Amino acid sequence: MNKEELDQIIEKSFRTEFDFQLPVNFAQKITAHVIRREQWKTDLREYLYLTGILLTLLAVVAGFYYFIDKAFVFKVIAFISQNLIPVISIVFILNFIFFTDRVLLRLLFNRWSKT
Amino acid sequence: MQHFPDSCCQTSNMNDSELINQILNGNMNAFTFLVNRYQKLVVHITGRLIQRHDELEDVCQEVFLKVYQNLGKYRNECKLSTWIATIAYNTSINYLRKFKKGDEVNPDDSAALRNLTEYRPYDFEKADLHRYLHDQIELLPVQYRTVLTLFYLEEFSYQEIEQITGMPEGTIKSYLFRAKALLKEKLKFVVDENSLKPVKEISHE
Repeated sequence: MNKEELDQIIEKSFRTEFDFQLPVNFAQKITAHVIRREQWKTDLREYLYLTGILLTLLAVVAGFYYFIDKAFVFKVIAFISQNLIPVISIVFILNFIFFTDRVLLRLLFNRWSKT
Repeated sequence: MQHFPDSCCQTSNMNDSELINQILNGNMNAFTFLVNRYQKLVVHITGRLIQRHDELEDVCQEVFLKVYQNLGKYRNECKLSTWIATIAYNTSINYLRKFKKGDEVNPDDSAALRNLTEYRPYDFEKADLHRYLHDQIELLPVQYRTVLTLFYLEEFSYQEIEQITGMPEGTIKSYLFRAKALLKEKLKFVVDENSLKPVKEISHE
């Protein structure tokens, strides 16, 4: 067999397509995945923004009261420090409910609807 | 995130930059179209590098997720296919490194030649030469497989392969030459005139 023929055969093999094929709906699956991911990111961002706004408002109100009624602010601080565990628990539970509402449930509903 | 249900027919006529603009504006149908347009390219690159069918779909998915995430950074400095191929190549190489399959970093031709299976002349009449050669390509070192796929299958230029893989042009040419030489070495006996017939049949298919 001559050299050219051998070259031709080898090059033809190089050009042979890979026999693996992705599922027919691969593109749709990827798109759905991207949409879910982007939705999750948006929800999380919204939650963080809202939490930030809430904390800022709280700080502004506390600062405002500090100048108007210092005694009241100290009372509140004393109350919090005396009931640290219940206060932290309530804040944590409220925050969790808020997080579940804004992010977690949406994510789960998205997954369930997919299945 | 927007859906444009009526725009699926329009996306098929779009060029790459229009497609990118549509995706960046939130048109997810355009992204579906982009995946359809380039999935073959990604499969060829990842498939030749990774070779494990059960993991290929996940790697391809990872490639397209990276494409979506980084689409905003794409500047028209190279073709979109080159850019996507670069992502596919890097993702596959990272995957190989992660799972400690990166032992082929410096291709050793004598070791590669040992890896290639012997062709048994007595099976020649029955053998599927293309299948044999295809199997041998899969046994070549990863760099050889990469440049072969990019050059012959995807028809990228040397410069584009250089952009994708980061290998110098000289190295790419050398890998192409050496890969061919290795396969020829294994097919040497085909020179035998008696064995020529089936080979000719295949080459004239």
